[in-house]
Amino acid sequence: MIYIVSGLPRSGTSLAMQMVAAGGIPVLTDGLRSSDPNNPRGYYEWERIKQLAQDPGCVAEAEGKAVKIISSLLMSLPGGHAYRVLFMMRALEEVVASQTAMISNLGTRGAALPAAAMPAALRAHRNQVIAWLGTRKEIAVMQLDYHALLADPAAHAVEIARFLGLPLDTEAMAKQVDPALHRQRTAQAL
Amino acid sequence: METGPRYNSRMAQPLAKKVLLIGWDAADWKIATPLMDQGLMPTLDDFVSHGVMGNLATLRPVLSPLLWNSIATGMRADKHGIHGFTEPDTQTGGIRPVSSTSRKVRALWNILTQRGYKTHVLGWFAGHPAEPVNGISVSDLYPYATQPLDKPWPLPPGAVHPESMRDTFANLRMHPAEVTEAAILPWIPRAAEIDQEKDRGLASFAKILAENLSIHNAATWILQNQPWDFMGVYYNGIDHFCHGFMHFHPPRMEGVPEDKFEIYKDVVNNAYRFHDMMLHTLVDLAGPEATVILCSDHGFHSDHLRPRGIPREPAGPAVQHRQFGIIAMRGQHLKEDERIYGATLLDIAPTVLTLFGLPVGEDMDGRVLVQAFAESPAIERIPSWEQEPGECGMHPADLRMDPAAAQAVLQQFIALGYIQKPNENQEKAVATAVREANYNVARVYLDSRRPKEALPLLEELVKGSDEARFRQHLAQCHYMLGQRAEAKAILEDLIANPPKPPEQAETTDERQETRDDGQETGDERRETSENPASAAQELNAGNGQRTTDNGQTPIVNRQSSTEDPPRPWADWLMGVIHFEEGNTEEALACLLRAEQADPRLPNLHLRIGETYLRRQQLDDAERAFRRALEIDGDSPEAHLGLAQVKLRRRQNEDAAEEALLAVGLQHFLPLGHYALGVALARLGHPHRAALAFETSVSMLPGLVNAHRWLAALESRPGGDLEKAASHRKLAADLLKRRREQMSAAVNN
Repeated sequence: MIYIVSGLPRSGTSLAMQMVAAGGIPVLTDGLRSSDPNNPRGYYEWERIKQLAQDPGCVAEAEGKAVKIISSLLMSLPGGHAYRVLFMMRALEEVVASQTAMISNLGTRGAALPAAAMPAALRAHRNQVIAWLGTRKEIAVMQLDYHALLADPAAHAVEIARFLGLPLDTEAMAKQVDPALHRQRTAQAL
Repeated sequence: METGPRYNSRMAQPLAKKVLLIGWDAADWKIATPLMDQGLMPTLDDFVSHGVMGNLATLRPVLSPLLWNSIATGMRADKHGIHGFTEPDTQTGGIRPVSSTSRKVRALWNILTQRGYKTHVLGWFAGHPAEPVNGISVSDLYPYATQPLDKPWPLPPGAVHPESMRDTFANLRMHPAEVTEAAILPWIPRAAEIDQEKDRGLASFAKILAENLSIHNAATWILQNQPWDFMGVYYNGIDHFCHGFMHFHPPRMEGVPEDKFEIYKDVVNNAYRFHDMMLHTLVDLAGPEATVILCSDHGFHSDHLRPRGIPREPAGPAVQHRQFGIIAMRGQHLKEDERIYGATLLDIAPTVLTLFGLPVGEDMDGRVLVQAFAESPAIERIPSWEQEPGECGMHPADLRMDPAAAQAVLQQFIALGYIQKPNENQEKAVATAVREANYNVARVYLDSRRPKEALPLLEELVKGSDEARFRQHLAQCHYMLGQRAEAKAILEDLIANPPKPPEQAETTDERQETRDDGQETGDERRETSENPASAAQELNAGNGQRTTDNGQTPIVNRQSSTEDPPRPWADWLMGVIHFEEGNTEEALACLLRAEQADPRLPNLHLRIGETYLRRQQLDDAERAFRRALEIDGDSPEAHLGLAQVKLRRRQNEDAAEEALLAVGLQHFLPLGHYALGVALARLGHPHRAALAFETSVSMLPGLVNAHRWLAALESRPGGDLEKAASHRKLAADLLKRRREQMSAAVNN
């Protein structure tokens, strides 16, 4: 079984990774992308997974572990494994605002789309990925609402453990959520 | 879920129990007819003698993904959404072959699925991932060998629907390495003389053969083992064999070495014979109750019109395509041994729907090929199939995404650092895919006379690149909008600052030299052709056709270039503008300059002929029209031009003969019928003349002189005076309206 945390960038995937790590699942990360003001607690990323489309076999290294895979790469998951995917859902306006702020911090150049059109493009993309996941029998998906998670981390930790089918330390998982920090970051992003 | 049709009108009577639609990419009567006459394509010969046949006019741009999806939907590419060979791939950051999730509207197999018919589709362009139709769907990525024979050769995910049939179809494929000597020798008897280290001809031959046999195996398996009402099956073999070997087709082209010519000269003819054999099996398995339609998306130059080089631009090999493909239909309610005229590839989908007794969408751009039916069929119509409720076997709406939006999302994720930045080649390929898609859509708008919609796209393209082809089309767009000054400004600039020659790919000699030197042995090409994603990348980077990458073709020089070939296009359009402005002297100067640059363009000589005709230089006009016929003997416009010359000389019998030839080649030619009418009237055949004039005004109601002739003919003793009065009034009204329009134009 491979445990995947996914979603749009800036939808709370790092938070979900912190939770599953605290719960006791070994996480596949190389620590190459260190924490920064955009993600003060780190990204929990594994650089090699960015090559998933070109090298689908690399996902085998995540067997028995949790790995963060960004939404657009999910469609490159190869057959031959069973997957449980925690898919983060967050209001698209917030996601876009947070992405814009991060792009500004990074000094890179985002999509050549008017800001108003970006939520629609991300919505179409997210719907496409979720629809595709629904066509794959070997992939089970749990959608996690970001704000609901902030509001009640304990209950969500239990639900996550149940979905993943693992005896996780749900108390430790819930403690990873710092509502003050996340509310503040949401406000900053907006 | 609601599944019933919304339309309430009486269902038309089905005229076919089953329909088998066979696509032969690039098939051309110019090659098939002599082979049929020699008894070398007996199945096709028998097929057309028991059915109807005709030319199938293509659309511009002449690019197969756009065209085959127009065939399947009855709509132009701006509506159906397939805009090129490739599209951005949000997963790899590169490009991929254009996919079924990009098609925005329902294809025939979706409509028929919705109506409950057992429907199968195989190999269709932009067919991947396979759609969940009510039957079996085999995608266009199905036949490609991605690994050597001694390694596992899995089907790509999504190549077959339903998934449960995956193994069955995987086993039906043929690998190029399985093409044995016994299969090669009938095609290429002197294959043993080929040095395969230097000459990749055999490898490319085996690849094309294996891919087409894989599709054929899958199609015949379905016909033998599955119930069916409709099957659409697409073969790319003729197109790919022609791109690969047409320059070896007799007569030997200048620059083709004799030894190579002798080795490969029969490949194209044998490709047609091979398809004839496959046709035999398909028709036989389909059974007598099936209606069979055979069509191609365009033709392929096979004679003196073969280009010697390929423009260095994406999809450059399309220059080898001819504007007429083929159509042949055979079935219980169709005519036998008849020729049909004026068909376009947009007409296939409405015709198939009518065969099933289903309504035609009013949003379809084609029409039913009524003339093919033994009796006029009842044609039902609905506003659109897109609004009809019910499961139609398309991918879920959420799975489909506009490629431009997908590209924006990808760019955003890269900027955020969540996706690996594509390498320079990938970025370039993506940019090219997006640019070419916009260019193609702009050309679709121009082809369908919607210059207003093309204008912003072309302006954007010209802003981003100084490629001559974009500026040329922008000039054409301005011209079509009546903005002659803007068009002239662009053309003057193009004429004053012509693009750097040579734009064309290496000449045949140069190509041969490269092959013989072994410098293009195809390692890179093998790699790209075996990997759909990288093959897709090559499409846009270079030749624009899926497997013309065989080292034996008049393949485009793959060095990137932003320059166009030295075409006479700018002079040609400038000449047209001067002609329309009444400046025949300047028009001639431009057109003759264009002729000097490229004397082989048939339309150019037509324009020259028309200009001479207006200047009353009848000998020169005749010479120009004859020159056009030397280039394309099937040009209806050239025969029409000759008819007009003869009429002015009062050589009425000759005029009638030429006019008859013109309308025989293209029935929908109102001026041809008009010229025929004038000749017949002068020759003393008033009834036949009236018939010709009536035909001309039925096609072009504003033809004032035809109404005048009809008024005169009906005023003769025994004529219909009421009709005469009606035509006289129509002519007067038309003239009055024309004067008002001119006056309004002057005032504006």
